Amino acid sequence: MNIIQHVANLLIRSVFHADPASWPWTWLVQAVVIGIAAFLAFAFVAIFAGPVSWIERRIAGRIQSRIGPNRVGPQGVLQWLADGVKCWLKEDLVPAAADRPLFLAAPYLVFTGMFGAFVVLPFGAQVVAADLNVGILYLLAITSLVVVGLLMAGWGSNSKWALFGGVRSAAQLVSYEVPSAFSLLCVVLLAGTLSTQGIVAAQGGWPWDWFIFRNPFMFAAFFLYFTAAIAEGNRTPFDLPEAESEIVAGYNIEYSGMRFLFFLFAEWANIWIMAAISAFAFLGGWQIPGIAPEQIAATKGWEFVGWQALSWTIFLVKATFLVFVVIQIRWTLPRLRVDQLMITCWKYLVPLSMLMVLGVLVLLALVPEGGGADTILRGAMVGLGLAVVLVSALRVRRTFRVDREHYREMEGRDLWYPPYRLP
Amino acid sequence: MIPEPVRALLFYLCAGLALAGGCWVAFARNIVHSAFALLATFAGVAGLYAFLSADFLAVVQLMIYVGGVLVLILFALMLTSRIEEARVSNPTIGLVPGAVVLIAVSALLVYACVKEFGGTTDLPPGEPTTAGIGDALLSRYVLPFEVISVLLLAVLLGAVTIAGGRLRKPAPGGKPGKERP
Amino acid sequence: MSDRLVQALRREFGETILATDDHCQDLHVRVAADRLPAVLGYLKTREDCTLLGDVIGIDYPERAQRFEVVYYLRSLSLPRQVWVQVGVAEGEAVPSATGLFRSADWHEREVYDLFGVPFANHPDLRRILCHHEFEGHALRKDYPIEQGQELGEPEKLYSDRDIARAAHRASLARNPAGAGDEIHATDLLTVNLGPSHPAMHGCLRAEVLLDGETIVDARAEIGYLHRCFEKEAEDHTWAQVMPYTDRLNYCSPLLNNVIYALAVEKLLEIEVPPRCKAIRVIVSELSRIIDHLVCVGTNLVDMGALTMYWYTFNVREAMYEIIEHLCGSRLTTNYARIGGLSHDLYPGFEAEVRAKLAMLDEAVTEVVKLAARNRIFLDRTLGIGAISRDDAVSHGFTGPCLRACGVAYDARKLHPHLDYQEYDFDVPTGEDGDTHSRIMVRFAEMIQSKRIIEQALRRLPAGPVNVDDPRVVLPPKEKVYGSIEGVMNQFKLIYEGIRVPAGTAYGFGEGGNGELGFYCVADGSGRPYRMKVRPPCFPVFGAYPRIIRGGMISDAIATLGSLNIIAGELDR
Repeated sequence: MNIIQHVANLLIRSVFHADPASWPWTWLVQAVVIGIAAFLAFAFVAIFAGPVSWIERRIAGRIQSRIGPNRVGPQGVLQWLADGVKCWLKEDLVPAAADRPLFLAAPYLVFTGMFGAFVVLPFGAQVVAADLNVGILYLLAITSLVVVGLLMAGWGSNSKWALFGGVRSAAQLVSYEVPSAFSLLCVVLLAGTLSTQGIVAAQGGWPWDWFIFRNPFMFAAFFLYFTAAIAEGNRTPFDLPEAESEIVAGYNIEYSGMRFLFFLFAEWANIWIMAAISAFAFLGGWQIPGIAPEQIAATKGWEFVGWQALSWTIFLVKATFLVFVVIQIRWTLPRLRVDQLMITCWKYLVPLSMLMVLGVLVLLALVPEGGGADTILRGAMVGLGLAVVLVSALRVRRTFRVDREHYREMEGRDLWYPPYRLP
Repeated sequence: MIPEPVRALLFYLCAGLALAGGCWVAFARNIVHSAFALLATFAGVAGLYAFLSADFLAVVQLMIYVGGVLVLILFALMLTSRIEEARVSNPTIGLVPGAVVLIAVSALLVYACVKEFGGTTDLPPGEPTTAGIGDALLSRYVLPFEVISVLLLAVLLGAVTIAGGRLRKPAPGGKPGKERP
Repeated sequence: MSDRLVQALRREFGETILATDDHCQDLHVRVAADRLPAVLGYLKTREDCTLLGDVIGIDYPERAQRFEVVYYLRSLSLPRQVWVQVGVAEGEAVPSATGLFRSADWHEREVYDLFGVPFANHPDLRRILCHHEFEGHALRKDYPIEQGQELGEPEKLYSDRDIARAAHRASLARNPAGAGDEIHATDLLTVNLGPSHPAMHGCLRAEVLLDGETIVDARAEIGYLHRCFEKEAEDHTWAQVMPYTDRLNYCSPLLNNVIYALAVEKLLEIEVPPRCKAIRVIVSELSRIIDHLVCVGTNLVDMGALTMYWYTFNVREAMYEIIEHLCGSRLTTNYARIGGLSHDLYPGFEAEVRAKLAMLDEAVTEVVKLAARNRIFLDRTLGIGAISRDDAVSHGFTGPCLRACGVAYDARKLHPHLDYQEYDFDVPTGEDGDTHSRIMVRFAEMIQSKRIIEQALRRLPAGPVNVDDPRVVLPPKEKVYGSIEGVMNQFKLIYEGIRVPAGTAYGFGEGGNGELGFYCVADGSGRPYRMKVRPPCFPVFGAYPRIIRGGMISDAIATLGSLNIIAGELDR
């Protein structure tokens, strides 16, 4: 029973006092509920992409020792709304020489591709728009709409730079889809299902139940997937399709107003999507430590809602953490060149990810789940993961301390991180 | 699960999308438009697969055809320098033979449909097909499956050989450190 | 020393050497036009004058041989500079030096463009600073200064035949044994890099032929920022030229001010007081640091490293605060004066400079830490945009771009001006002449500049900042208002300008991106008769198309950033 039917039936019973099974208008109510759910999901994309843009800009400001947007609303939190309104009000320019239908359609295609991915993301124990049993495949497939959209934008703009951007981006997406698909294949092998909820259910709440710490190959697969996902999302250091200093912002160069915003929107939504996929495929998704999914499903009323909210929060925290990581990477590294980008993919990531699939298969055959060897392996991997996190945390802390000293010396004030308290 | 009228609506939407896309492919004057119109056809067909409870096939259709074939076609078009003027790159030629072929093929298709399926049947409720396909591929059809993979490997090797002909190593005596693939 | 050189030349060429002139320690050798290549070749191969620094045209309408073309040669290891002059009448051609020096290409085109002097055997004699529809020659004395000419249609740098030729050449380069038809002209995409491309700092334009993303061939076009500074200079008094020099290299205007003042002072044969020298050294080195910070920062942002850009620009901003405080403005500094400075330092200057220099250290370490072992950065810069030592010299490179190739030529060491010989500093050099070396040389130079500033601050002597010479320096205001001599003095200096004795002098120094020089010809009046700037990035940009050939677009962008082309100075 999915949550939409649940709500629809509830509505019919309570509002119309009819039996959903025999009432003739059941389909209408269901359709309306589906529509509302779709709108809510859409609103989530919008509402998420917006603040992510603000957060990214504030973090970028902090990293680059400047301030970032801090004028609209307290600490600039409403900057994204202002930007959105500004873009709505701007003229929607179509170049005279552009291929008009393609030019106009492209942003929607890109946006649809990104938005479509939200359908199968498991936000919480029962919070998922559609738990398709081919969920992961669907995620990979829907991205192809983005590829076509970007090519369409590149060609439709009738500008050489835009075409460069479009072709670069399509080549990049198609190439990096391979390692990311292989890495996700490792997950599918372990979970034994393509369904996103099934993958989450195959993991557990505690770190040693997560797929990333299942064995060394999964550990590597996570990083491979993450790298490939950054590339698929056109983020630095793989942001060649929109390298403003080289090809003048690439495929979106001729766009203005809302159409331009759609591209940025898709980009920011994409950070969230890739972070979410990493979180549910490798990091245990919404799983609450110590509570089995069946227990959650069995609860009723407010308790049910409470557990849903908690699982939703856990998922959100994990995904948002990864979003932060992506942002940090973006503002740290320079950009690759186009041939280096392809070399990275085809010479390193693809063979490595194939190796990971092999490794996972071998371990699946050799190490039975739940056995002693499995426990030791998981323990060791969690230890390794903890060590990685600890080392980076210590390094960050040290750097931060040094920074704070400098800041105090120069400005006579204390430094805050995260940056919401900066002047 | 989905209410019947909505289902019907969605079905006609998908079918219409596939048909409209197909027509656009055929009638567009601009070959790039034709290629992009394939997107609609592929998406519509994927939708129809979904209606036939072939969820795996639907998604794979999207992945292979939109993500692979279409992008390949687009790349080929965009990198072809022979297209002088994109606007009239797909002219209408051979109207009469085309019409003959069209009529013949449609007659055949209609005949086949009527004879084989004759009217509508209720589909069994959707069952996940992925596992079944996987089992079939690795048990009953394992030989064809492997043969196809060998074929694909041959295709890959062939492509590398053909493309590799243009990518010879730079002549000796070139500047060190300036070598580029 | 110049005596020996003169004798050697006379021995070699006898009567061809028409005259020599050693005014202001600059050796001018006058030769007959037909013997020019021989003399230049002799100087290049036998006398170590390997660098053709500039080709200067001068118009003397009253002479029979109306135009004088001056080739400026210099040695990179000895303090030796020679100016070889030839006189030609209207329509007479000068034999081109392009066979000897690659830099002659653009320099001769400039003389052709601005004076209409043709060069025999020049491979590509077209206009360069003025546009292709321009009529007349701007620097001739009879060309009216206010007559601007509008451009109707921008020039197409590649004709179909050029493209076919480039495709053929690229095919042969790829497969020397083949028939040269592997790359077809129709495979090549012509793309305009600039003039309004985000990475084309200022208004540079390069048209590139692309095979995929690989640059098969490139041509550069300049002049989008041309406002004929040299013509303007002829229309202003010597002192009035000073503000115009701000706009040459707008990343380091103070350096331009100082070097221009040096040039005129050389003509006047005056020496500024020690305090003035020290202050000039400090502001010059500050400018150099700023110049390098801008170059490195923008270069990194061209490669996508926006954060490193901010780290460098924050320090730059801090240093601009000093300049703002000192000069009242950030770019249009106009600080130096002929015979001194506009005014003395403000109180607290030293402490502020020291504080800002500490920030520099931090930024340099931080950026170097971020970049030096970053695999992406190394892959993007190592071996990219490389130019060999000989090519660099032949193209007339100076400054960090030349030093990155391993030639330790620095005007501050070889021709110490402003008492640079008394400062302890090193000349950092690279080895490979690639983008990486250029960036790292600039980092190292910033540290050296910091050392120089610290020494200058320590020794900063007390005393006046202006020479005590009423012919040159404006009298103090109380004298102007209080005495008739003061009024007269001010009046004469403002209305007639500083009377610079007739003669020629080349004043130069180490600018932000190479040897910046002002070749001044004075006729005894208050205005320059001819003023020729030697912009260091002019020859560097001339080599740009060659450097980027065979690379990719991204490499071209990264290379351009590291060459530090400043359009204001390039186009003048």
